[in-house]
Amino acid sequence: MSEAITLVLGLALLAATAWTPPRHTRLLGSLLFGLVVAVLLRFVLGPLGGVLGGVLAVGVAHRLLPALVLRRVLFLVPALVLLVFSTTLLMYRAPGNPFANERATSAQVETALRAQYGVPKNANQFFRIYMRRLLVEGTLGPSIKVQGRRVEELIGPAFPVSMALGLLALTLSVGFGLSLGVLAGLKRNSAADYSSMAVALVGISLPSFVIGAAEMIVFSLWLGWLPVAGWGSYRHLVMPAIALALPSSAVIARLARSGTIEIMQQDFVRTARAKGLPESWVIGRHALRGAIIPVVSYLGPAAAAIMTGSFVVEVLFAIPGMGQWFVKGAINRDYSVVLGTAIVYFGLVILFNLLVDLAYAWLDPRLRQERA
Amino acid sequence: MRRTLISALLVVVAALLVVGLTLSKATGKRADLRVMNGTEPQTLDPDLATGDPEHRILEDVFEGLARLDSASLEPVPGVAESWDISADGKTYVFHLRPTARWSDGRPVTAHDFTYAWRRLQDPTLGGEYAYIMHMVRWAEARNTYGAQAEALRGRVVKALDELVAQHPSVVPGAALREFAKKLNLQATLKGTPNPALRSFLLRPDGDIETDELRGLRPELLAEAARRQTAHDAADEHFGVDEGVFAKDDHTLVVELNAATPYFLELTAFYPFYPVPRWAVERASRNWFMPGNFVGNGAFTLESWRVGDRIVLERNPQYWGKNEVKLKRVDLLPIENMTTALNLYLTGDVDWIPHGYYPRELGPDLKRRADFYGNPALIAYYYRINTTRKPFGDKRVRKALNLAIDREQITRDVLLMGEQPAYTVVPPGLRGYTSGKSEISLNVAEARKLLAEAGFPEGRGFPKFGILYNTMEMHKKLAEVVADQLRRNLNIDAVAYNQEWQSYQQSTTNMDYDVSRYGWVGDYEDPNTFLDVWLTNGGNNRTGWGSLVYDRLIESANNVELFLDSPEFLLQHTHEPQKLRELMQGVRAAREPAARLEAMSKLRLALLAEAETILVADDFPIIPLYFYVISGLVKPYVRGFHTEIIGSDGSKRPNLRDLHPLRDLSVEGAP
Repeated sequence: MSEAITLVLGLALLAATAWTPPRHTRLLGSLLFGLVVAVLLRFVLGPLGGVLGGVLAVGVAHRLLPALVLRRVLFLVPALVLLVFSTTLLMYRAPGNPFANERATSAQVETALRAQYGVPKNANQFFRIYMRRLLVEGTLGPSIKVQGRRVEELIGPAFPVSMALGLLALTLSVGFGLSLGVLAGLKRNSAADYSSMAVALVGISLPSFVIGAAEMIVFSLWLGWLPVAGWGSYRHLVMPAIALALPSSAVIARLARSGTIEIMQQDFVRTARAKGLPESWVIGRHALRGAIIPVVSYLGPAAAAIMTGSFVVEVLFAIPGMGQWFVKGAINRDYSVVLGTAIVYFGLVILFNLLVDLAYAWLDPRLRQERA
Repeated sequence: MRRTLISALLVVVAALLVVGLTLSKATGKRADLRVMNGTEPQTLDPDLATGDPEHRILEDVFEGLARLDSASLEPVPGVAESWDISADGKTYVFHLRPTARWSDGRPVTAHDFTYAWRRLQDPTLGGEYAYIMHMVRWAEARNTYGAQAEALRGRVVKALDELVAQHPSVVPGAALREFAKKLNLQATLKGTPNPALRSFLLRPDGDIETDELRGLRPELLAEAARRQTAHDAADEHFGVDEGVFAKDDHTLVVELNAATPYFLELTAFYPFYPVPRWAVERASRNWFMPGNFVGNGAFTLESWRVGDRIVLERNPQYWGKNEVKLKRVDLLPIENMTTALNLYLTGDVDWIPHGYYPRELGPDLKRRADFYGNPALIAYYYRINTTRKPFGDKRVRKALNLAIDREQITRDVLLMGEQPAYTVVPPGLRGYTSGKSEISLNVAEARKLLAEAGFPEGRGFPKFGILYNTMEMHKKLAEVVADQLRRNLNIDAVAYNQEWQSYQQSTTNMDYDVSRYGWVGDYEDPNTFLDVWLTNGGNNRTGWGSLVYDRLIESANNVELFLDSPEFLLQHTHEPQKLRELMQGVRAAREPAARLEAMSKLRLALLAEAETILVADDFPIIPLYFYVISGLVKPYVRGFHTEIIGSDGSKRPNLRDLHPLRDLSVEGAP
């Protein structure tokens, strides 16, 4: 019951951040910004560096950061706490516990392990322990299923791997998807349109593990060009990057196509043509920007998802990335891992959505004016 | 537009930079041997590890008193270069090799063993394998008596008082059962010498006079005090001067509660390994990680990148380093079996041990020359929840056992040469003949039994579920079994699945009718399959328990106990005559060696009697089949024995797929 009340109160608090007056937003936002920076720096520089960095960040934020960013920060911190709280509740509701094993664990062994890992039987107590770890001790807690490592030591080396693969895949999918989509949009109802949309349909329909398996059969087993799986050279990257890129490039192609079609019917395009500008100029200078807008709004969450790794692709290609921990954490009921991955993902989603908002303003002059 | 292009280009360059950075960190050198190693190991602390992937690494980076020779799988000198066993088989004196060294150059001493064994039995450590050492004197007392004493003094006595207060004259049987079950009395009072408590545990179900129950209170408190004293004594002496202790730096003495034929084999098993105290104390959280790691095995831990590989390198400090051929071994964690197989097929991996290739491709792979397969020490059962109606009736349980066509399952579903199981213990254990089994395919008898239990032609039999943990093979099997039961007995079973954790919880809470269960033997002795089914044993989960069964297992693990007072068991066993003859044999033996030999025979006979209770009397489980071990290994891997030849020339299969890296080599690899 008390948990339900806490949840409702938390949600109310979250909603309230939207109505905070601008002046308070600036102050509160910069304070919270400092807190976030302090906690983050804590991992790298230790307690003293964290505090100093945090104080510095408050000042900088208060002076320099735009209101758009501060409002996001104001939302971010209570949302993060709420995320940790509700995830903890959900984890504790799920059957099983991190210490359940093939062999029965005796009550005595379980008690000893619970004490060692700081995983009491009660969700509220765990929440308190976890928040203390996060804010005071500056750690994401120990993993229970990969012992001897803290969650940051688990995610730390895995995240760059996923990010590298993700960036590559994202570049591929934007390049491929955009050219396919814009082409289809410009030559509407032509053979080029139909064939590129057919390719997109295949890309959306085929799950990445099918694409990955097909790649393996063709490029590794038949042709012997690329290694089946693993991590260690650029040759290991090709197949997983394609498997990861294809589905999202298909989505991008479709978005770009409808964006292009819409923009080409706009008055300013007709004007540009009427001025006698060459078609390539019309498209490149005026149409493309507008066509990209729906793609950009898709890219925010998609980038967060792709860069935190895909469980399916990572498992298939035996890549030591981060995607596996989303699933393994949940399957193993490794509570700290679940929370750690959730926090990282959440942070990235917020960050990329912010970038998307900034990119909007840059791409679309109308939005810029409205804001100003 | 130019700005857009430039920023896009910048993103691409950044992406490539990050990629380059992460790749440069990866290790590139090719290993002599690359092994698929299943899931990521949870830990490499020998006192905390469980599971196969951990086992495969630990046996290479540590060494016990004995080690298993890869050709005979018999214990041969490891850290101990020789040992003496006392005439009664209860005291072992190990003479440690002066040349044995830790990977940091320190000598391996007897104190490293006493430290490790004391640590394993520390109740606050939470080592799951602590119980496997409980035959060592004082080990169990140090490990469990403290908590038991506390429970007896506190919870148990309090619950007893409440029970007495609620029922002034007579305590009904149901309340008593509930009391015993909730407080897990069987486990808490395990092995008590107190006659009043012993007879209380042995008493048949039914009501009890309140006064009689009240009389137990002082006995419980006395037992609590006894356990506390024993626990304190164990704390003081175990690992110091009794149970296990160092006579000097290179002499380790081990005292057992009873002669245990498989003890020497166990000293080669990782819970019995030494642990470097200084390394643990320096970094207790992660002493077993590269950088901190100190081991005494043929290999040492070079690096461990989660999700990528664990690299082992030959340990230059190892006393037998000249016998070790491999310089570097990579162990790859793998989640996807198809990928594992593909890596093997393209030559990126040299050995796929049991269970790490896609099961459904087995029949095709079987035809390959580099495939190996042989019987395994792994059994597949269905548990029956005996606390639910109508499964409390053993006629029903027997009927289920008789109505399943195991031959069809192994022939048409499993396809890898698995053996149908009509007993609980897999065949192939030396010297052991399974107890008499009544299980066979006998549909007529099954129908008759079902009719006797009140379900003629299956009429009125409630629909029930067969629970399995999510996996394609378990699903197929459950559906075939459900179909066989429908056709043979006209009863309705529904196969349903739960993911692993939910399945664990459901079985522990006894929230199922019939559930799948697999058991892997820890050592080559029937005890590892039979002590699972002790009353309230942690993995029993059927609600079934039998005093005779418990006594048989207890006696087998301490034959002297049986020799002292055999009457109870002789009255309740199938072949008392045989047991009497074997007892006679023990008494007649003059030589200590002959006596030990005779006791070991008697011990196996007691275990066979226990097994008979499961497969001829009570049927709390349905044995289905015994696994085969199968894998793929490249022909250039040498020293790989799938058929084991004992020192006496006897042949047997490599039941546990054990291939210590120490003895492997690679010749003529591409």
